[in-house]
Amino acid sequence: MAENFHSLMMGISVSMQPYNFMIAMIGLVLGVIVGVLPGLGGANGVAILIPLTVAMQPISGIILLASIYWGALYGGSITSILFNIPGEPWSVATTFDGYPMAKKGHAGKALVLSFFSHFVGAVLGVIMLSFFAPLIAAFALRFGPAEIFSVMVLTFSAFVGLSGKDPYKTLVSIFIGFILAAVGMDIVTGQLRMTFGSIDLMGGFNFIVAVIGLFGLGEIFLTVEEGLKLESTEGGKVTFKDMAWGVKELLIEWKALLLGCIIGCWMGLKPGGATPASFMAYGFAKQSSKHGDEFGQGASAGIIAPEAAAHGAGTSAALPMITLGIPGSPTMAVIMGGLMIFGLLPGPMLFVEHPDFVWGFIGSCWIGNFIGLLVVLAFAPIFAAVLKIRFAIIMPIIVYVCAIGAYAVNNRLIDIYYMIGFGVVGYLFKKLDYPLAPLVLALVLGDMAESALRQALLISGGSPIVLIKPPIALPIMIAAALIFFWPSISGLIKKKRLKVGPG
Amino acid sequence: MRKANLGVAIFLFLIGAIVMFDSVRLGWHYDPSSGPGAGFLPFYLSLGVLLCTGVFIVKQVMQLSKIGVVGDEPLIQEGGLKPILWVLIPSTGMVLLIPLIGLHFAAFVFLLFYMRVVGKIGWLECILVSVLFPIGLYIVFDRLFLIPLPDGMLGNYIKLPF
Repeated sequence: MAENFHSLMMGISVSMQPYNFMIAMIGLVLGVIVGVLPGLGGANGVAILIPLTVAMQPISGIILLASIYWGALYGGSITSILFNIPGEPWSVATTFDGYPMAKKGHAGKALVLSFFSHFVGAVLGVIMLSFFAPLIAAFALRFGPAEIFSVMVLTFSAFVGLSGKDPYKTLVSIFIGFILAAVGMDIVTGQLRMTFGSIDLMGGFNFIVAVIGLFGLGEIFLTVEEGLKLESTEGGKVTFKDMAWGVKELLIEWKALLLGCIIGCWMGLKPGGATPASFMAYGFAKQSSKHGDEFGQGASAGIIAPEAAAHGAGTSAALPMITLGIPGSPTMAVIMGGLMIFGLLPGPMLFVEHPDFVWGFIGSCWIGNFIGLLVVLAFAPIFAAVLKIRFAIIMPIIVYVCAIGAYAVNNRLIDIYYMIGFGVVGYLFKKLDYPLAPLVLALVLGDMAESALRQALLISGGSPIVLIKPPIALPIMIAAALIFFWPSISGLIKKKRLKVGPG
Repeated sequence: MRKANLGVAIFLFLIGAIVMFDSVRLGWHYDPSSGPGAGFLPFYLSLGVLLCTGVFIVKQVMQLSKIGVVGDEPLIQEGGLKPILWVLIPSTGMVLLIPLIGLHFAAFVFLLFYMRVVGKIGWLECILVSVLFPIGLYIVFDRLFLIPLPDGMLGNYIKLPF
């Protein structure tokens, strides 16, 4: 423990170096802008900037990418509260109570509450990251291919069982993601797969391009279809009085805060990401509150719970990414893609081989989230003004920047065509309620999952029993099966209760 | 929305079929000497896609034949298609222009066109944004970070002085 604490201090000092500190500031400001703009989300904001990090040191690169994510997490709520336009999907739940509160003339208070809850969620997530990551990584060193594969099965069954979406559609999303990852040259045999003689397909599909298309262009199509309705409220300036009030309110609504943090950390760990976490926390807070009827009219708890959950999920999503190589949210998946470009393969070995890098990253999570709070508290109205620029100006610029990002990943023109194709797919999938996060995650993890599976089968001589081998793979697989069938299981339990219960 | 649901499911079903076809060609069996073939995982993936979309298609067809499309929401809400196409077609146009005149010039044309024709924004603002942004991004990407973006056929003739 003492050793970890020492490493953490070292990591914080790395991220406090002037250059890295500057990078973090740039990342945070860019991130908040990304967060404020609808149609430019955390995942594709990070994806677009990955090419820029190639010229940097790995640690500075990851600080930039992570800071964009922290900034986007904070920034999404600004426009939710002031304009009733969620800048990010994870701040949709904030509009339910944040905007009504702002409309009553308490915009500053709503912003303070949201930022403070974000910060508390972040701190809890980072504490978990700092103290559990080394333990999990040490444990994961014992994983062989079969165990790695079983963890992936657990990850994807969580999407099916716990997302509440149509299981068929979730499964199709996962399979399509893996299929897209398989296109191109097979890493083991060198055969060309699903290329049908086309040279362009030989390079396969890069997931960064997919993210930019699915989340970037897809989101733009959705936004222009609905049209952007700006409902402005007064103010947005944060005073010290608001801050004092915010602290008091957090203490009064500590239950909602705690609930949000716990749900957030759990959702971040089990690949759900910040968006479902915020909705879930809102629902739970509403149910458990004594003043449930105040929700929707500007209840403090209705801002606190989803915001703490969103940021808690965002930060704790780094934990499975850095220890197991399995990102807990789509944005973390993109950050992981950035790491792989540096030649750093996230997973337990990263702790052994590059401890200074890992601890530098964890240290930057502390610093980044703290500075992020100060940045948004001080400059929220300025960032909000970004949205006053007409969408007809912002939109084509976003498309342009997306095209640059898609091209620069591999310097291939074909990727920009793919990006537009993915944009249309993203729009259709969003509309028809096919979840996008599992598709992206499958595309990222495709190669890793496949080689793990093939190695495991090679070791066992073709017997699939190896995938459920005790002591590690078996319980993970059982957990995966339970989670996969959770909707039917919980349905059965409810039915039984109804029969037994007082009737 | 139901028809679109069915259409997309059929499309994905076809993709599954194509992938299965190819994975059989690649060899989806476990080979005792070399392990699982290149088509091993894709085969099961495509099987999964075929099963899931198959079940979904049957469900959708049954639903459609039972209640039809009455009371169904359209995929694209009323008046929504036009703004989407106004984004999609010009962006595709920009992408098609890139091999000819390069990314930054294509973006200049795209920005100017979209802001002026679709956004109906004043000329001065249009020209300022569509000139300054490509120059700024050119400096950041091509010059500062040395990421060469495509300059198309024009690249041989036009060399920017910075």
